Amino acid sequence: MERVHTRRPEQRPDEWVLLSYRLPREPSTPRITIWRKLKRLGVAQISDGLVALPADARTREHLDWLADEILEAGGAATVWLAQPTSRAQERELAAAMADARAAEYRAVLAEAARANGLPTAERNRVLRKLRAELRRINRRDYFPPPERRAATEAVAALHADRKEDTAS
Amino acid sequence: MRWATRAGIHIDRAACAWLIRRDIDPDAEFVFLDDPTDLPADATPFDMRGVELGHHRGDCSFETILRRYELTDPTLWRIAEIIHEADLDDERYDAPEAPGLDVILRGLSMTGDDARTLAVTQAIFDGLYEYFHRQHRLGREPA
Repeated sequence: MERVHTRRPEQRPDEWVLLSYRLPREPSTPRITIWRKLKRLGVAQISDGLVALPADARTREHLDWLADEILEAGGAATVWLAQPTSRAQERELAAAMADARAAEYRAVLAEAARANGLPTAERNRVLRKLRAELRRINRRDYFPPPERRAATEAVAALHADRKEDTAS
Repeated sequence: MRWATRAGIHIDRAACAWLIRRDIDPDAEFVFLDDPTDLPADATPFDMRGVELGHHRGDCSFETILRRYELTDPTLWRIAEIIHEADLDDERYDAPEAPGLDVILRGLSMTGDDARTLAVTQAIFDGLYEYFHRQHRLGREPA
């Protein structure tokens, strides 16, 4: 199934920013902090200690600062700009990232569906929570899967004023 | 004094420049480097990797400068929360202003150069300061 829309098909692969890093096993707190930050950024895990993001000013800056943070924690880190040598490799990376986001959007969709029948006050509470969750997912969504739109619409429809639109 | 940072400024660098001029060096002159290795010998670097006035212990550069120069004004620290979230987005603080400010800064960098972003944002930060200063004094939202 072709679900990933790369930005410039049939051309040379785009540039990626890679962070190669190693952290001491102990203490575990910096390891966990870094792992959480990488997860939040939605990185593609290429191998143990090597992660990638499509390169732009924001992703480069995030990985640069993370590299500094790893160095400060007594680890080793280098940041690279690279191009996969083939479109196929790039598609594989992008597909893995899109699949990870799709799963997150599906979880939002499921929660929105469950909230649909709730009383207004409770539904609004879920609406606020899911809007925040969607924003978090959108920020790490570099290759939007179809689930993005479905989740966005399902969450918007939880609002009382928009419920009628979608029900009809 | 001369101060240097990376070219292509975003929220943290724009806010640091505003803070430096406002509280540390009114005559500050800013240099924007395309290549960090071109750092002039007489310039103090900020918001660059591996420098004192950069990110440390999860703080953004704006917070680092506040600590380093012992600036304790609660209004500046309230603004620091916004800058931190707009820059790092790690939910350390509750700063609902941050996503909007982040988008404004990204848009500015698409339509103008660093000098213009700096000029526009200085007025924005002056406005933010006045707003949060009044909010702090009144203990409620200022009209």
